[in-house]
Amino acid sequence: MAENREPRGAIEAELDPVEYTLRKRLPHRLPRRPNDIYVNMKTDFKAQLARCQKLLDGGARGQNACTEIYIHGLGLAINRAINIALQLQAGSFGSLQVAANTSTVELVDELEPETDTREPLTRIRNNSAIHIRVFRVTPK
Amino acid sequence: MSNAKERKHAKKMRNQPTNVTLSSGFVAGGGVKHHNGGGRPFQAHRDPHSGTSRQWYPRTSPHALAESDANEQSSSKVTFKRKGGWKAGPEGASQDIPKYITASTFAQARAAEISAMLKAVTQKSSNSLVFQTLPRHMRRRAMSHNVKRLPRRLQEIARKEAQKAVHQKKEHSKTKCHKARRCHINRTLVFNQRQKKNIWLETHIWHAKRFHMVRRWGYCLGERPTAKSHRACYRAMTSRCLLQLTFAAVHCLSGKRQGSLVLYRANKYPQEMLGPVTFIWKSQRTPADTSENRQLWIWLHPTLKQDILEEIKAMCQCVEPTRSAVCVPDSLLTPSQEKGQTDLPEEKTGRKRKREDDGENAKAIKKVVGDGTRDPLQPYSWLSPATGVVISDLTMEMNRFRLVGPLSHSVLTEALKAASVHTEEEDTEKTPHRWWTEVCKNPESVSLHHRQEGVFGLLGGITSPAEIPAGTVLGLTVGDPRINLPQKRSRALPSPETSQDNEKVRQLLLEGVPVECSHSFLWDPDICKSVTENKISDQDLNRKRSELLVPGSQLLLGPHESKVPILLIQQPGKVTGDNQRGWGSGWDVLLPKGWGMAFWIPFIYRGARVGGLKETVMHSQYKGSPNIPGDFPDCPAGVRFAQEQAKNLLEKYTRRPPAKRPNYIKLGTLAPFCCPWEQLTRDWEARVQAGEDLSAAPSPAGEESGPRRDVVPSAPTTERARQLSDDVSTSLNDADVMDTDCPAQAGTEWVAGRGATRGLLCVLRSRKLLRQLSAWCGGGQAARRAPGRAQQGLTREACLSVSDRFPRALVWVRLSLLGKGSPEPHTMICVPAEEDLVQLRRDRLYRGPQEPRHGDPFKSKIRKQREQKKREKGQKPGPAASDGLADGDPTGPQALTLGLWPGPLPAVTSHCSRVLLGFVTQGDFSMAVGSGEALGFASLTGLLAVLSSQPGAERGLVLLRPPASLQYRFARIAVEV
Repeated sequence: MAENREPRGAIEAELDPVEYTLRKRLPHRLPRRPNDIYVNMKTDFKAQLARCQKLLDGGARGQNACTEIYIHGLGLAINRAINIALQLQAGSFGSLQVAANTSTVELVDELEPETDTREPLTRIRNNSAIHIRVFRVTPK
Repeated sequence: MSNAKERKHAKKMRNQPTNVTLSSGFVAGGGVKHHNGGGRPFQAHRDPHSGTSRQWYPRTSPHALAESDANEQSSSKVTFKRKGGWKAGPEGASQDIPKYITASTFAQARAAEISAMLKAVTQKSSNSLVFQTLPRHMRRRAMSHNVKRLPRRLQEIARKEAQKAVHQKKEHSKTKCHKARRCHINRTLVFNQRQKKNIWLETHIWHAKRFHMVRRWGYCLGERPTAKSHRACYRAMTSRCLLQLTFAAVHCLSGKRQGSLVLYRANKYPQEMLGPVTFIWKSQRTPADTSENRQLWIWLHPTLKQDILEEIKAMCQCVEPTRSAVCVPDSLLTPSQEKGQTDLPEEKTGRKRKREDDGENAKAIKKVVGDGTRDPLQPYSWLSPATGVVISDLTMEMNRFRLVGPLSHSVLTEALKAASVHTEEEDTEKTPHRWWTEVCKNPESVSLHHRQEGVFGLLGGITSPAEIPAGTVLGLTVGDPRINLPQKRSRALPSPETSQDNEKVRQLLLEGVPVECSHSFLWDPDICKSVTENKISDQDLNRKRSELLVPGSQLLLGPHESKVPILLIQQPGKVTGDNQRGWGSGWDVLLPKGWGMAFWIPFIYRGARVGGLKETVMHSQYKGSPNIPGDFPDCPAGVRFAQEQAKNLLEKYTRRPPAKRPNYIKLGTLAPFCCPWEQLTRDWEARVQAGEDLSAAPSPAGEESGPRRDVVPSAPTTERARQLSDDVSTSLNDADVMDTDCPAQAGTEWVAGRGATRGLLCVLRSRKLLRQLSAWCGGGQAARRAPGRAQQGLTREACLSVSDRFPRALVWVRLSLLGKGSPEPHTMICVPAEEDLVQLRRDRLYRGPQEPRHGDPFKSKIRKQREQKKREKGQKPGPAASDGLADGDPTGPQALTLGLWPGPLPAVTSHCSRVLLGFVTQGDFSMAVGSGEALGFASLTGLLAVLSSQPGAERGLVLLRPPASLQYRFARIAVEV
């Protein structure tokens, strides 16, 4: 998953960092189908692109090739997800089409207190996400 | 021919192969056999060997023929020759060469011979099996029991052999019948006998069949699976589900959440750490219900048990052993513990504070649970008359299984089904599970049960346990998991349908499990006891299953089905650092005693893979968390563990011949088997004080060393004898210091405490300091990432203030290698010299410097000693006057192992060309990251000195060198909070 960056200045204003430790929880996600690809910022771009290409191409003789794949990107990785989808389309000589959807994902931050007297807090923030469907069309 | 000459000739001829003189294909061994056989009828007067060899010349020619004949039918040459020799014996009665041969008699005799030979080749005489007579290259796997693997011509013999073996076996087993050998009563007796010394866990027999077992900490534990599964277990942790048995002594003192903390001896922070523990408070069922007893469960590692138990007993003044399982009811609760909901994971809380609260109110009450498995003479619970606190030892009272990995949700939801509620109409009189019918009569608890069931159902729709609040506790009552055991082992997969219930899932994720849902009947010792006693045995269950009308259909026991109270606890995965957050998260399942196997098998049938101790170490290593007890060098259990490990490694080392093991003296490794933390920190302290800094600029610490020097480290043991009043006053303050790390307080407290705390090893665990260190280590990255943080710059003053407060502290660090190399435990963390960094700057792929080979000054001494010993051996066993040795103590000879540094170590930091900073305690190639990774401790003083001397971009670069290598490799150091 992408690192969810956000301006921390806002938090700092209301909460003293000495008293709380911020721990970000993993974003909620649905069970993964084989044709779902979650793009992150840690893995090499080329590797992720190759992975998508492999899914679309299938094996040596094109067996178990997916007719469509879903590329998901969250936060900072949106840019990269779009980039991957467009690269795929550009390299396909018109046989691939893309359809994008955007959504908002709720993320949970846990604030662990450093002292005994305080209680742990959770805070919700939103982050935008993109889901790109890359599918094969028969070129006319 | 003289007698001697003859004998000489015979001797020569004995080893002479017959085919030297004959053109037949005899081999040496066969030839000898012939002579012996043929020689028998001869008189002793003549030499048998020379005689027969001459005699046999004409008569062996038919043999040669026969052999060529027989060769077509049999491959067993040796057998044939031996047999032939024996059979032909009587024929050799005539001593001279015959003048004439009658064709018919000759042919008859030969025919008889041939037939005898043919008979001989079909049956073999040697003890070996047929396939063993085959040459090695013709042998195949499984030949011994699969006849068809043999060449066809041998199959007949092999078949006969196999039949014979079967007969033999039957005869053999008559002495003791199968039933007698497997007699159950006998078995349990034997098993009880065998687990007297080391306690077996409930799944022991299952484990013993599949795992390499080790005896450790008084238990028999599975170390690693016998199957090759290192990588498979890693995959299970990452993407599936790994099942581990956690064994820990639970300790009942009497939440919604599980917490963890590090215990210290009272008034001794930061020295004398006792060990890390995790705890759960019993939650309250209703906020208004204040009259309930409070219970606290403390989970600890068995090695830590004795120390911590003693300490808690001393703190609570629980000295009188309670004979009966007393429940002292009491009401008032301390404010911070009142709301189960608010009980939070308290990291690094001084445990004294809590105990103090209990003591002051004199009301917080812990329940006692009796134990059947233990020695009844030994007290297991203690009552304090002054405070009313009851402490009891719940070792082996509960099972705790740990499921790691994202699929643990699916495994749990498939394996466990919430118990069905009894309705009033049903005939519940006869059921042994009376407690459950009682519960079902209460509508409140029924609704609670339904709510718990609902929450549990939601878990199936959550993809990863890391999405749930860390340390969540969920109580549940489930039916017997053996009833809906699948026919075959399968893998539970998350179903997309269950994850549709969005609104509820969202609420669960945000708010966590509701407080009341964390209640479980597991806290009630009576119910646990009844559940354990009324467990239906596997045998009965299988019998009932076999009596079903439709085989394979669902078994319905109705009210007779057992109801088991369990507790599910979420385990947060990797919480520190930035990479792979939430890795290795999962669920712990707490079960009452006796139900271990009944839950174990269903979990495995749902696709959980089982790991052993080795997998636990791997899990903690990839998680970046210290492993208990190996990574706690400042607690007594950790010290003990290190000693034991060093002993084992030394034994392993000395088992090898000196030429086949590394000479650690030449490699410049002073301590290859243990980490001399004490000496390391002491050396660094002296180094900084002497102003001998790494950087060119001298450290001003030298000026301050004067007043600090005269403080003598006082004996810690005297401090232990203390008064409670003393505790009450000081430990609160102490706790505050460690909680908040408020500098103002530290100023006053620390000066007071310094006299007692100086000079002892400790591990830095103050979060604030660690966070600061982590920012300094980051080499500018961390600072950029968290610009809002009010961080101090890495100035000399800041360093000094830290190192002044903790002069001999260690820091838990994580090291990731820049390039090649996979570190192992006891790898040395060293400080790169200036030229190394210059080289690295010039060439990004620079491997790192090499340690010049050291000389071995002890080699000649060892040789001298050995010679001396040899000389003494010849004379008389006197006292070993080892004049060559500097230390003539009795440990001298033992310490003088070739390749190991004997006696007290010299200055450890400056022994090699690069200055030593610390040691790695866990290290391996990390499959999670794809490069070598290590965890270890570095000296705080040293780390600060290194960090301040390095320029911005290269800050945090260190060198790693394994004990058996001369090659240094670059790694980046990071402190994770």
